[in-house]
Order: sequence, then structure tokens, then C-alpha cells
Amino acid sequence: MSKSIKYKLISALSITIFLLIWEIATDVLHIKPSFVLPSPIKVFHVLIVKMTSTSPDGSTLPIHILASLKVALLGFLSGAIVGSPLGILMAWNKKVDMAVRPVFDLLRTIPPIGWIPIMILLLGIGTQAKVAVIFLCSFIPCLINSYTGIKQTSQIHLWTGQIFGATNMQLLRKIAIPTALPFVFTGLRVSLSISWMTLVAAELLAATKGVGYMMQIARTIGRADIIVLGMLVIAVLGSVLFMVLEFVEKKFVKGWF
Amino acid sequence: MSKILSNEKVQNIIWGTAGLLFVLIIWQLSVAFTTMGRVIPGPFEVFKSLFSYIFKPMGKYTLIGHTLVSLTRVLVGFTLSAVCGIILGIGMGCSEKINAIVRPIFHMVRPIPGVAWIPIAILWLGIGEEAKIFIIFMGGFAQVVLNTMDGARRVDPTLLGAARMLGANKRQEFFKIVLPYSVPYIFAGLQISLSTSWMAVLAAEMVSSYKGSGWIIITGMNNGDTVQILIGMISIGVVGLMIAFIMRIIERLLCSWRIQGQ
Repeated sequence: MSKSIKYKLISALSITIFLLIWEIATDVLHIKPSFVLPSPIKVFHVLIVKMTSTSPDGSTLPIHILASLKVALLGFLSGAIVGSPLGILMAWNKKVDMAVRPVFDLLRTIPPIGWIPIMILLLGIGTQAKVAVIFLCSFIPCLINSYTGIKQTSQIHLWTGQIFGATNMQLLRKIAIPTALPFVFTGLRVSLSISWMTLVAAELLAATKGVGYMMQIARTIGRADIIVLGMLVIAVLGSVLFMVLEFVEKKFVKGWF
Repeated sequence: MSKILSNEKVQNIIWGTAGLLFVLIIWQLSVAFTTMGRVIPGPFEVFKSLFSYIFKPMGKYTLIGHTLVSLTRVLVGFTLSAVCGIILGIGMGCSEKINAIVRPIFHMVRPIPGVAWIPIAILWLGIGEEAKIFIIFMGGFAQVVLNTMDGARRVDPTLLGAARMLGANKRQEFFKIVLPYSVPYIFAGLQISLSTSWMAVLAAEMVSSYKGSGWIIITGMNNGDTVQILIGMISIGVVGLMIAFIMRIIERLLCSWRIQGQ
């Protein structure tokens, strides 16, 4: 017990020292000019200012965050809703597998960021293009993982089910899907992190709102404090999304076993 | 048994080509007969210029030149992040003290995707090679650390105990047990980090550069040249496939004892 407290103290100390060095290097010693490396106090200050101020990019921070979250969640959820069941179906039914696989293998090889320009050309720089890109990139890991999950089902369990007269549907619902569920959630986690990353890339390239757009504007006018703020916001939001997903996973996966 | 296997393989190949042809035919038909044709070029046109750009320069370099530029960036950044990540990960996995010191800072930096470093990297390092390598490094680093740490932590205590009982010193313990035990975990981390690196380099090149695969795509977008965008996407896809293939071979070489055991 005392040992864990000691390590927690060390952790607290290390982050304080890190922030102190950062502060001393910027505000006291001025190693780099503030448009290159802002001090932590300045970042905190700009966080408060950005809550209500719309300069320099036309929206306040909460609006940027809402815009990013909306796009990311729309794309991620639609990808998950299409991808996971399709993966299950592909693993369960050989015909579906054969029909979908070649198209899927073709889609899979192109990294999500490669889709951004063509989607922007096709759908414009609004929400649609970004949702489409995120849909494509979140759909792929969901599909692969739920496919692998169903394939992990033990043949013995299936045979047992068959002996007791379970129908095909029952085998899938009572045996295969519970086995696959942890894999499905792994897929969701992977696709959430890819979605979040792709969203930032898409907003850096073309957008009118969103945290990535805020950072891009800040870069062009040399406001490093806003860039660092944007990075921190992205990190915090990403972690929060992950926590929510983990919470859901605990609820669901516990219920099955 | 082998006959059944080869039969299945043949069937897979047949279905694969059929699917590919199907996609190409749909693509061609929709371009020829619907309004899609105004936005997207047909497959023939794309493949024709794809082959012509292998020898003809596009911007400053040929298609292969651009791909090599991107690959070099990825290799340098990825190697750096792999080396630093493995060292830090093993340190954090083996020693509680190092873990306690590094963890808070690491967990502050980890959730920031590599792509989010692009604006600040450009401010700090300009739009040259250093910025891109930095972005790739930041993108791949965290995953390697996490996986290596996980591997080093999961070492079977019975094995360590046995080694200690037989008189192994700290160094032997580390090189004979901890390191080999974490190799599969490290490798899984490297694979993920390589694919994120490949994504990060594309994003970095799209935001600002004058050469590389991402440059091909973004210039195509800025000029409204859909053929060029599609060429870029196809070349990226091919490179991604090759990277995955090479990694699988290396994994088989390095972790053969584990695969046989499974």
C-alpha cells in the first residue's frame, strides 16, 4: 500500500517537474519565441478565452468540439452498424463471404486518409464528405474483427448445439455471437481510434469548423497556443470516447458470460 | 487433404478475380452511362496514365520516385520510433520506478494522434524532412511503447524464478527471458505502428510538401485532376499491401517458435 502511494507521489512529482520545465523554458528563459512554443499558462489562458471568443477562426471552442464530435460519431457509428453485422454474416455464410470479400479486399488496401481528397471532390467540404471517409475507415476494422471472432467459435460448441437440436439461427445467436463479442469490441476500439485520427486529418485539409480546422487556421497565423490547445482537446476527447466505449464493453460482455 | 486445400485456393482465386472484374465493370459502366462520368474517369483511363507515369515525371519525380520518397520518410521515422519505443517500453515494463516517472507524461502525449502533431511540427521544424519524420515518430511511438510494456509485464514469473534459481544474473535474465518473451508483443506493436506511420506520412504530405505519395493525391485534388487522385490511391494501396506482406514474412522469421507452438 505504502509502495503504491510512493509511486503515485513520484508520478505527481514528475508531471509537476515537466510542467515547471516547460514554464521556465518559455516564460522565464524565452528559449523559443511564444509563436513557436507557448507556455503552459498561456495555453490555459487561451482555453478560457476560446470558450467565448470566436477569433481567429469564426467559432468558439465548444462549437468546434461539437462539430468534430458530431462528424466522428456519425461516421464511427454508421461504420460500426454496417461493419460488425456484415463481418458476422460473412463469417457465418460462405456465399456472402464470397460475394463481399473481393470488393472488401479492394477497399481495405487504401488507407482512410487516401479517401479524403476524392470524397471532398465528390461530396464537398461539408459534413457529408467527412462522414463518408470516417465511415469507410471505421467499417473495415469492425468487419475484420467480427469476422475473426465468429471464426474463433469452437466447433465442439457448435456440434453440441446441433445435437440438442438448435436451429442455425439459434447457433448463431446463442453460441457464435457471444464467442465473437470480445473481438467485436476490439474492432470497435481500433476503428474508434482510426476514426478520430482520420477526422483530424480531414479537418486539417478542408473544413469550416472543427478542432482540426481551428489548429490549421492557428498554424497559418502563427498562434502556437491555439495549436497546443487543440492537441490537448483532441487528446482529452479521444480518451473520453475510449472510456465510454470501455464502459459499454464492460456492461455488454459481462452480461454474456 | 492437400487436394481439398488446393481446391479451396483455386476457388478463392477465381472468386477474387471475378469480384475484381465485377468492380471494374461496374466502374466502367457507371462512368460511361451515368453522370458519374463527369466527376470520375473510367478504369482504362486511370490504368493507362498509371503506367505512363511510371516513366513520365509527375511534378518533379516519376510515380516510383514519389513512392520511394514517402517510403524513405516512413522507414526513418518508423525505425526511430521503434528503437526509442522498445527501449522505453521495456524500461517501463521492468521497473516500477521508471514507469511511475514516465507514465503521467506518456499518458498525456499518447492519446494525441500523429496527425494532430502536423500543425505544430510545421511551426517547429518547417515543411522539410524533419517535420515529416517527427510526425511519423509521434504517430508510431506510443503503440510500440504500450505493446512492449505489456509484453515485458506478462513474462511468466515461474520462468524468471527458475532462471534465478539456476543462478542467472540480471543481464542473463533480461536477454534470455524477458526480451524473447516480449518479442511477439513488440512485433504486434510494430505492425500497428507501421500502418499508422504510413497513414501519418500521407496526411503530413497532404498538408504541406512538394513530393511524395500524399503530394500526388493532394495536387490532384487542388487541380481537380481525378485521374491523378486515383493513381495516388492505387499506388498507396499497392505499397500498403507490400508492407503488410513483408511484415508477415519477418514475423514468421522472428517469431517462428511461437507460431509453431500455437
